[in-house]
Amino acid sequence: MGILLQTIVAGLLKGGLYALIGIGMTLIMGVMGIINLAHGQMMMVAMYIAYVLNTMGVDPYFSLLVAMPTLFLLGVLIQKYLLNPLIKVDTILPENQVLMTVGIGMVLTEVIRFIFKSDYKYVTTSYSSATFFLGGISFNVPLTIAFFIALAFTAAMFWFLIKTDLGRSIRATAQDKDAATLMGINTGRITVVTMGLGAALVAAAGCLLAPVYYIFPDLGGPFTAKAFVITILGGLGSTVGAILGGITLGMAESLGATYLGMEYEDIVGLAIFVAVLLFLPGGFKRLTKV
Amino acid sequence: MRAYPKGLLTVAVLLLAVVLCGGVMAAENVKVGIVLPLTGAQAKFGEIEKRSFEMAAEEINAAGGIKGSKLELLFEDDTGKPDVGRAATEKLISRDKVTVLTGGYSSAVTQAATAVAQQFKVPFLVTTGSADEITEKGYDYIFRINPTSSEYFDPFETLIQKAGGIKTMALLYENTQFGQSSAKDVEGAAKSAGIQVVVKEGYQAGAIDFKPILSKVKGAKPDIIYMVSYVMDAALLMAQCKELDINPKMFAGGGAGFTLPEFQQKAAAAADLVYSATLWSEDVPYKGAKEYFNKFKKKYNSETEYHGAEAYGSMYVVADALKRAKSFSPNDIRDALAATDMMTAFGPVKFISYGKKKQQNKLPNTFVVQWQNGKMETVWPEAFAKKKYIFPTPAWKDRK
Amino acid sequence: MKKTPVAAIVAVAALALLPLVLADNYFLHLLILFLIWVIIGSSWNIMAGYTGQVSFGHAAFFGTGAYTAGLFVMHGGFSAWWGMAFGGVAAMLLGLPFGAICFPLRGAYFALASLALNLILMHLATIAERFTGGMQGIMIMPTFVSKVPYYYITLGMAVATLVVVQSIIRSKWGYYFVSIREDQDAAESLGIDTNRYKNVSLAVSAFFTGTAGALYMNYMGFIDPHVVFSLHDYSVMAILVAIVGGVGTIYGPAVGAFIMVGLQELFRSGFFGLFKYLGDRTGSETFTQAMEVVQHAHVLVFGILVVVVILFLPNGIVGDWGKIRKSVFRSKPAA
Repeated sequence: MGILLQTIVAGLLKGGLYALIGIGMTLIMGVMGIINLAHGQMMMVAMYIAYVLNTMGVDPYFSLLVAMPTLFLLGVLIQKYLLNPLIKVDTILPENQVLMTVGIGMVLTEVIRFIFKSDYKYVTTSYSSATFFLGGISFNVPLTIAFFIALAFTAAMFWFLIKTDLGRSIRATAQDKDAATLMGINTGRITVVTMGLGAALVAAAGCLLAPVYYIFPDLGGPFTAKAFVITILGGLGSTVGAILGGITLGMAESLGATYLGMEYEDIVGLAIFVAVLLFLPGGFKRLTKV
Repeated sequence: MRAYPKGLLTVAVLLLAVVLCGGVMAAENVKVGIVLPLTGAQAKFGEIEKRSFEMAAEEINAAGGIKGSKLELLFEDDTGKPDVGRAATEKLISRDKVTVLTGGYSSAVTQAATAVAQQFKVPFLVTTGSADEITEKGYDYIFRINPTSSEYFDPFETLIQKAGGIKTMALLYENTQFGQSSAKDVEGAAKSAGIQVVVKEGYQAGAIDFKPILSKVKGAKPDIIYMVSYVMDAALLMAQCKELDINPKMFAGGGAGFTLPEFQQKAAAAADLVYSATLWSEDVPYKGAKEYFNKFKKKYNSETEYHGAEAYGSMYVVADALKRAKSFSPNDIRDALAATDMMTAFGPVKFISYGKKKQQNKLPNTFVVQWQNGKMETVWPEAFAKKKYIFPTPAWKDRK
Repeated sequence: MKKTPVAAIVAVAALALLPLVLADNYFLHLLILFLIWVIIGSSWNIMAGYTGQVSFGHAAFFGTGAYTAGLFVMHGGFSAWWGMAFGGVAAMLLGLPFGAICFPLRGAYFALASLALNLILMHLATIAERFTGGMQGIMIMPTFVSKVPYYYITLGMAVATLVVVQSIIRSKWGYYFVSIREDQDAAESLGIDTNRYKNVSLAVSAFFTGTAGALYMNYMGFIDPHVVFSLHDYSVMAILVAIVGGVGTIYGPAVGAFIMVGLQELFRSGFFGLFKYLGDRTGSETFTQAMEVVQHAHVLVFGILVVVVILFLPNGIVGDWGKIRKSVFRSKPAA
């Protein structure tokens, strides 16, 4: 019983972090309809920012305040100069935008590798391994904090999308781009802001992950994969879906690791992904309507 | 669309020009081809080995080279991929016409590269690639200086016997060639030593959270937890063992990961009292070992470790064989290598056959180190121990 | 264009005669790689460029073909050449159920599903140690020492692929494919059995890619899950080859293959050793340093190239040839 509970807790906490990674991507996919395959790489850049600040003595939690705006700016620039221009171009395949993100991901990874080499870097904090026990189940402190921060961000995004003008414009653009333009929304600007937001959110995830993981140029790939599993699972554009999706993925991975074997961890995620694509297209959003 | 043939022709001319360029090189030197991961995830070790090879070559050339001719090292980057390693080896053989090959870091790349060398009948002295299969195929042009992954566990067998009380083992390993083949060997060795393997799990390197599998391990209450991991997985594993309060009698690492300084830096207190197998340290009683370590530190301002020692030793073995060879034909060099019997900074080198292996060097000792108070101390075999091993490992709560 | 372009015929003839002039193993190897990518790129193009079913996981077919050949050796002691006959078939057998399950998905979702297929196969191959050898891979001794036989086999396969692609595209099937790509629902309403034709294009695509995989096993002698199921090295590369060359054109992928393979090796070797040569000749340190920078940055340059091509030549070199011609030759009077 102890093993089961511990597994569930581990999955839950990991899931919170996953959710934060997923929210950014679901927003981007919902609004622009493009799969940002550079999502994990953006997180990687944020983690390097946290690393550099850490070598100067800054705590990763404070790095959030630097990394988020920086990645917001990066996202804005990428969208404005590299992705928006593609919308106007007449090409045979609409997937050019996705491929552009692949190229961007490659460039980000290699530039970082060029500057920092491939060595593993890590941030040193006093609390990386801090744990507290509840009834014999171990809770990792940084992951628990990340979990609550992820919930906070989700709530904030939810409020933002529903209550603010900008948020409503984003949702309108996501629903029907042409109608939104007709309504007077500057959809070009909206897409740029959305990408920036998505990047900033994943930057937050990176800073929160930094204390419990390690940093290297190639870490982006697997996280991008998890992000789109969560996006599909939760439903495009749905922030609540992202939280549910993230937690579901986290728990599925943990349960799979314990009861099937840790090698199957990644396959579990992929299997869920395919199952959702086939049996619940639209993801949790279809069930929750948000 | 007439540009096609024109474009192709231009490129063909360019290619030919470059081919001719490549041919016009100094003919006086003895060329040694070295295949290493100079870029990619393993680049750090590739660099240590490259520097060690270069250092050794400099010393050998300064002392008169090979019967008056200088050693010329030609490095090729295998980028950590076996197909690139294969192509790189072919390039060294066909274009650069090297007389002998050495190097080989990752087992997968080494397997592919040695197959090429055997096919083209060029002698290859394997420096680091440790999968047993590499010298079990009966390839007569392939020699190996380093112990195989199945031998990493050997010093543990005697240590465990001495320490006593170890009946069950949990075995965790990364899903790479090295990890999977080591795990197979360790499982076999454990069984013959009468130890029951209660958990055996592979994992994808780069995992964030080992808690699920570790809770399973905790539930099985093993006496020893043996991990074949690379440095950061190793650090996370130990940190999470501490978080879950898992207390076996012994934590042991069977991969390079546990001996690197980064492991201890990342895992901090969780790294303490972890054992690991190692093939070499600067304190081994072999001629030149300490000098090599100090010289490397002075020249490059960073520390070398056993991979570097393997490279350094390999260079000397190659040079020695070249000096003794009747000519620089592949067969004569191969025969000279086969007759090697010398001491290097890495240890004694003599290629023998045992078990399924052929032309394999067998070090008399490999060592067990243990992290004590943030320092890596050699603790076994007793004859080489600097400090006594601490056993059984006290529970996390009881440590100071 | 009802006949094969002259340029293509000349190129094939030149390639056929090349080994008689240039017996250098290194360049033969590069050419073999180039030809393998002609096969993979062109097959991907049939399914994605022409039929609009963009696959992000083509390595799944490549790896299946490679492992078919490898498993013949590992479990049956047969020669890996049997894989050439069955590799393509195995890939088709993988592809058809996949298509049946996933073709109802549209656009990006289908792409993601194919990506998932790729990753699932990679993980399964790694885990099923006893069946596939896991990460220890499968290793065989290549049948021929010389590269020349492999070169001609690969050349033959590449030509066969292009011939098949060309004849399919120029037949009615070609029109059906394109109509599915342009507007699947309209095509359906016109009475075209879109499902059938999507499966046909998938089958052809998988077959050739799978056979290329089997060829790879025979030629390279070593495979493991991370090599042949690699998302980056095979799936993404296939897409890049086609995009750079020109999707939806018959010879685009061939051009793309030439450029990508050439560029990759150009950078990895520091401009084919030119830098090193210059460095040795002039004794200047800057050349050696520049070479190291170039070598270490070769993937970066690749990535930048991708970004640039997509931005300025979205239809690839062949597709946007008119554009290139105009901007490069604009100084000359109208041709």
